[in-house]
Formats: sequence, structure tokens, C-alpha cells
Amino acid sequence: MIDDLSRIRNIGISAHIDSGKTTLTERILFYTGRIRAIHEVRGKDGVGATMDSMELERERGITIQSAATYTIWKDHQVNIIDTPGHVDFTIEVERALKVLDGAILVLCAVAGVQSQSITVDRQMRRYSVPRIAFVNKCDRSGANPARVTEQLRDKLKLNAVMMQIPIGLEDKLEGLVDLVTMKAFRFEGENGEKIVEEEIPAALKLEAEARREVMLDAVSMFSDELMEAMLEENVTEDMIHAAVRNGVLQGELAPVYMGSAYKNKGVQLLLDAVVRYLPAPGDIANTALRVEADGSETEFQLSSSPDDPLVANAFKLEEGPYGQLTYIRIYQGVVHKGSDIYNSRTGRKVKVGRIGRMHADQMEEIEEARAGDIIALFGIDCASGDTFTSGERISLSSMHVPEPVVSLAVVPVDNKASAKMSKALHRFTREDPTFRAMVDPETGDTIISGMGELHLEVYIQRIKREFGAEVTTGAPQVKYRETMTKPVEFVYTHKKQTGGSGQYAKVQGILEPSDDGEFHFENKVVGGHIPSEYIGACEKGFATSLAEGRYIGHPVQGLKVTLVDGASHAVDSSDMAFTTACRAAFREFYPKGKPVALEPLMLVSIEGPGEYQGDIIKTLMQRRGVIVGTTEDEGFIRVDANVPLAEMFGYATVLRSATAGKAEFTMEFARYAPAPAEVAEELVQAYQTRRAEGR
Amino acid sequence: MPEKSMIQKSPVRIFERAIGGGLGPGNLGVVLSRPGVGKTGFLIGLAVDQLLQGRKVLYISTKESVEHISSFFEQVFNAMAASLGLEQVLEKQLRMERNRHILVYNRDLFSLEKLEQSVAFLEEATDFKPDMVVMDGTPRFESTETWELEGLHRLGAEWNAEIWTSSNTHRENQKSDERGVPLKVARHDDLVDVMVMLCPEGERVRVKIVKEHGSTDLPHVQLELDPGTLLLHWR
Repeated sequence: MIDDLSRIRNIGISAHIDSGKTTLTERILFYTGRIRAIHEVRGKDGVGATMDSMELERERGITIQSAATYTIWKDHQVNIIDTPGHVDFTIEVERALKVLDGAILVLCAVAGVQSQSITVDRQMRRYSVPRIAFVNKCDRSGANPARVTEQLRDKLKLNAVMMQIPIGLEDKLEGLVDLVTMKAFRFEGENGEKIVEEEIPAALKLEAEARREVMLDAVSMFSDELMEAMLEENVTEDMIHAAVRNGVLQGELAPVYMGSAYKNKGVQLLLDAVVRYLPAPGDIANTALRVEADGSETEFQLSSSPDDPLVANAFKLEEGPYGQLTYIRIYQGVVHKGSDIYNSRTGRKVKVGRIGRMHADQMEEIEEARAGDIIALFGIDCASGDTFTSGERISLSSMHVPEPVVSLAVVPVDNKASAKMSKALHRFTREDPTFRAMVDPETGDTIISGMGELHLEVYIQRIKREFGAEVTTGAPQVKYRETMTKPVEFVYTHKKQTGGSGQYAKVQGILEPSDDGEFHFENKVVGGHIPSEYIGACEKGFATSLAEGRYIGHPVQGLKVTLVDGASHAVDSSDMAFTTACRAAFREFYPKGKPVALEPLMLVSIEGPGEYQGDIIKTLMQRRGVIVGTTEDEGFIRVDANVPLAEMFGYATVLRSATAGKAEFTMEFARYAPAPAEVAEELVQAYQTRRAEGR
Repeated sequence: MPEKSMIQKSPVRIFERAIGGGLGPGNLGVVLSRPGVGKTGFLIGLAVDQLLQGRKVLYISTKESVEHISSFFEQVFNAMAASLGLEQVLEKQLRMERNRHILVYNRDLFSLEKLEQSVAFLEEATDFKPDMVVMDGTPRFESTETWELEGLHRLGAEWNAEIWTSSNTHRENQKSDERGVPLKVARHDDLVDVMVMLCPEGERVRVKIVKEHGSTDLPHVQLELDPGTLLLHWR
């Protein structure tokens, strides 16, 4: 184990589907000696790459669950968080990004910056993850790492700079020229494990020198020392390394490496760059919130020191062959086997059993782990996202969890299946905060909801395979919302006199749409017309009304309530009277604010060859899509459109057949937007029928 | 207040009156300023104003991404909706998006011919026909030939759309004429119908009209660009 914090790297590998991320990870594990043989993703040997630990993933050739694995490269401990590559699972990606200190952005040398690269890069930006780029598949026909670097600059606005140039390309890819050392490297031996350093081939000398100039110009922005040395012409390798690291840590520079993981070229040099330039845990400022006795929160900076009290974050739960595993990132302090730690959310003490370092699905037991490390705990009862401490109430700033936008009914075929299914759902909801399960009070059906069709489909497959529960599913349903569109003044008096103490409350104010889609409550009552002790009850009255709007009976989004006046009675007023008055005021006045039905709108990005532009646009127009824009590049077209989720079910198949499988798309929730009249009318009718039937 | 009168009280109306009731179809307008003063914000402001009136806008860029530009629109739209006190903002946002199209080209691929093709394609595939075309930073006046600007005029007339573009001023070693218009733009004076200059004065940005169609008597407008919201307002 490595004690020196500066020798730890917690990194992620993020990429577009099929950019070769899994193959790259596999090679990294091979070169660092963690595995002895290389398997391919869609391997004929039936073993599959080590990182794709789930059967389903293996079958689809995509990585869904992130697994943490650790390895050692040149005296540095590298923990790799494998991040999933499909946007439907962005919460997984985001969770992984949160615990990373740096990342490798993998790009395909032929396809370049694809829609998914843009999504992933945006997420990395959100969490300020420093990144280096790896242009993979340089052995493919059409490979052009220089063009990909340009795209990184143009499309992702990254300060991308080539650190290498290829020796040959496509099927003639032989090796790489390193622009820092100005040496050529070839990868020999059966698996490219022998690195041969030699002089730069004469034919590449001029190009290498020109590219080095460009690189030095970009890099010298991050070091005065290097800039001076350039003028005096005594640049050293160390100066360049220091300047690149500085730029990367600031998030202002993205050095570009290249090669072909599949052909075993360039991976070791990429690893060198990882340990050289990506941050150690101590280089990154992480903050947390300390909850004081009075409930207030103070933000403080985590120290990364093993000597401070423990703060650790459970970022992933996984059921594996070793039982329930909880992956945690330790931000400060130490975790010993057999010690007690506290779950800050539940306030419960938990005993640490076995501690493991995971290497995909193989495990190595250790006695303790310290600040900066990523490890797995066995048999700990917690939810994903929980914070563990030495006893203090601390929470790591909460992660952005989007609301689910699609749901469907799952029906077990018999009682046996029913028990298995509920066990599965219980587990999934703890693992994935964007996955929800509930029982529909009307039909008694179990409804699951999540971030997209594929998201739910994967869980249904897991219910069937991992838990052996036979289930049937209903058609996917969109989750609608509603809101009002214009301000309404309200006055409502709630009065009841039925012998004994009565109920009295009068409230007056304005209901209006809010700017930000959230619920806001403002109290402007003066002169004690509503005694301040009842204001909370008023807020509660409105807040609890939001679950069922009075237009289509769906949750209300974006309501602002301003309470301006009211009246109370010395004896008959109570919390309950005010809550009831506000609920009744909402029921009566909300419908006067021109309510509209809202449907989830998705940002759909499609990329494909230029000649399919018309066909792509046609599929969108048929789905009530609104085209935001088109981007034209050489031979390629990208169309961004807002399309209602309700129209997107089964789109993958439609797009495939419209474009001979040559176009691909990604989809992300954009916002809730007004649904067209036909849709709204149907929803209104369904709601009225429900109400008439007294449900 | 009815919607129409809200749009009537928009400061954009003052600007419009000052340039003789608007730029006019087939005409070319240029916004000039130093980098970073707010040319893009100003142009998007004009575009959103048109969109609120139900007119169609085509926005062309060779440097920013579709995502970047559309979030810029959203920001200006929200600020404008709030300052005009508009209701039914969500519906208006949808309508705005329906009437707007963003076209992004790789810088090296862009040409008048390409643009003409794209617009024809848009009309055919989606029934979209622009009333206003905004070409932020394109064409590049330092290298633009007369025939290209003439071509733009021709396209504008064909589409019956007004065309707005922008250019930087005050680059080092760059000469300007007595109005402050850089020579790279001034040399095409007869092909530009309206020129607007954004002049930073302390915290504020004054809007100065330096060319208004054929007029010799240049109007003074009391308008500023708010650097925070990027909206026009009264001085």
C-alpha cells in the first residue's frame, strides 16, 4: 500500500459508447500487472473484459454499473472508477465524477467529439474535474488525431494541445513521438508491453518540431519559468511537466494523448501522463457541511489528512459475488477493520467489517484505508450518498438528483415472483436515487420510474436475471406536471362552528407562477393580522397542495405564494384552521390562474452523415420535435432538437431504420414545457373522470 | 396590459424608430464594438424581440455551439420576459424556439452558397423561412470581398429578410475613420445600411448609431445596453 497521498490518483475514464473505454481500461490493468491476459469487450473467449462485471453489460457490450478498481503504476496507486457510457444513466456518471480527482476523456480518432463526449464533458465541467484526453483507435481507417484535437478546441472549448504525434496512422500506426522528450516510442512484444525508445524518424522531424512549438506556446501560459526559459532557449523537461500539471490542475489545459488500446499502442505513455499531471487527492479542495447542534450548517474544507477525524462518502452500492458492497471515498481520516464509524444521515454507529480493494470482480482484503483512498466495505447498511464520520454530523454537499420523467407498471406473474421483485426494487432504489418504485393507490400496480426508457429496461432485465422474478410490464408512461400561467389574487375564510371550539382562519394574497420552477412562499402580513405562529401552517397548507394540481391532477411545478393579509380569532384559530384555509384557497383559486399541463421535453442530439439530414429531421418533425439547431461539419451533421418524451418511445429503432443505422442519438431531460391542447384535454378528462368516480 | 402594448413599450422600439422604422428586408446592418462589450447580447436582444412578435429568426455562427447559443437566447428571453412583465412565459418560450433556428458551421466550410443551400433545405424540410438573419461575426470584414456582401444583399432580398452582422473594433494597429468605424468595415460603406456602435462608458454601454440608411442627419438615441442582463434600456 502507498502511504504518500501525493502518490494516489483517483481517476475516471469517460467516453462515448464504443470509443473503446472498456478495452482501454483492460489494457491499463494488463500493463499495470493486475490481470494476466487480455480479453476483448465482445470477446469470443466468453470471458469478457474485466470491468464489465454484469452479465447484461457483457451481452450488450456497454458498461452500465461503475466499478472501482485499483492498480499500481510506477509507485503510484491509481484507483479507476469505471463510469457508464449511456446518458440514461447520468446519475451514475455524476456520482462517479463527484469522487474523482481527475479523468481521462476517451475519444475515437475517427468519429472525434461525438454527442456523448459533449454530455460527458459538460458533466465534468460541472464538477470541475481536470481532464486529459486520449484519442483512441488511431489504427482505424480515417483516424485523424489532429482533427480530434481541433474538435476538442472548437466543440468543447477545451484548451486542448497535442502532447504527441503518431508515427503512421490507420493500419500503419507504428508508435508515437513524445513532444516533451522529443523521442519516438514503439510498442513491441506480443501485447505491446516492450517499449522501445528511439530517435524521431527523419520524415517526422519537422512536424514534431512545429507541434512542439505549438505545445510549448500553450503550456508556457501556466509557468513564467518556462516562458523565460523559452526566450533563453534552455527549456527542460521538468519545466514542461510542471507547467502542464499546473494548467491541468487549474482546469485550463487539456493535454491530448493518442494511440490504440486495441492494438496495444500508447497506453503506457497515457498512464505516465495520468500520474504526472492529474491531481492527487490533496491537490483538490473538497468541502463538506458540518451540522451544528442548532441545526445550522457551516461549510468547511476537508483536509485530506489521515490524522483528522473521518469523513467518507458512500458513492456506490453493489450486490456482487461477495455480498453487499459499499464503495466509499475517504476524504480525511482513516478506516480500520473492526472500528466503529457513524452514518451521519441515520446517526447510527456501524462496525466496519472486512475492507476490500476491488479489482473489478476480484477482491483483495486490507486492514485499513486512509484519506484519499477508494475502497469497498462489506455488509454495511446504508444508502447511496451517505456520509460516514468519526461521530460528527457532516454531510458532503448534496448531489443534483433529477426527478424521474418516465414510469411504467411491472406486474409479477405469481406470488413467488412478487417476493423476489420487491427484494429487487428495494435494492435498486437504494443504489440509484433516480430510480423510484411505488404502488399506485388506484390500481394496486407497482410503478417504477426513472430517467428514460433504457434506464427502466435495464432494471427490468436485472429483476428477471439477477433476481429470477418473472414479470410483465405495461407501456411506459410520461410523468406530467401542471402549473398556472398568470397571477391570481385570493381571499378565503375558513369558518366552522359546530358547538365547542370552532375553526376560524382568513387568508389573503397572491398565487402566481414562479420564475425558477420551484415553490416559494413569502409572508408579507403586517400588524399581526395572522399571528406569526400560524405562518408556518399557512406555508404547509400550500406546500402540501402541490402534490395534486386542480387542472390535470398532477404535481404542480413553479408556484409562488405571497401572503399579504388575513385574520384570526383568539379562540377558534389554530394551525389546523390555517392549513385548511390555505388548502381550500389553493383549490378554489389555482384553477383561475389559467393552468396548463406540462410535459417533459427532452434535448435530443442526433449525429450522422450529412446525406441523412433530411431523414433525421423528418423523424423529429413526426414527433412534435422543435429543432434547436443544426451543426454542419465535413460530411457530418448534428441536429439538436427539443422533443416531448411521450413521442420518444422506441425512437432508437425508428432512427436506425431511417438512416441505415448510420446515425446515433443521445437524449437528456431538458425541462417541463406546456403540452399541446390535444394532450392537455385528454389529461383533463382523465382527471375529471377520476374525480367523478370519487378516487 | 395586453401583450401587444407590452412589446410596444420595449426599448427596442426606440431603437427601431431611430433607424428609420427598422433595418428593412434585404438590408444589412452591422454592430460594432470592442471584443466582449456585448455585440452578441445586443443581436440576440433584437432577435428575441422579433421572436416575441411571432417573426422568424435564423441565427448563424461559425464559432459557438448550438447549445451555447440557445442558452444565451434563453437567458436574454427570460430577462426580457421579466422586464416586460410578460405572462404565459412557458408557452412563449416554446413559440420562440419554434420560430428560431440556429445554424452552426465549421469555419472552413462556410460559404454563401452553403448558406443558400441550408436555408432552402430548411424551408423545404421544416417550412422555416427567416424574417431576420443574424450572422454574428460572419462574414469577417477584414477578408470580405465586395461580391460577398453583394451576395448577402441578394440573399436577403430573396428571403425578404433583414440581415444583421457584427464586427470588432479597436484591434491593435487597426485604422478607423472619423466616425470610429474601422476601415475594414468603412470600405464597404455603400453596402451596409445601418451601423451601430456599442461604446463602453464606465459601467455602462452607450448605443450609438453611426449610419442610418442614406440619412445624413444621424439620430441620437438615449439607449444603453445593460451589461448585466444584456437588455436595452433608457438612459
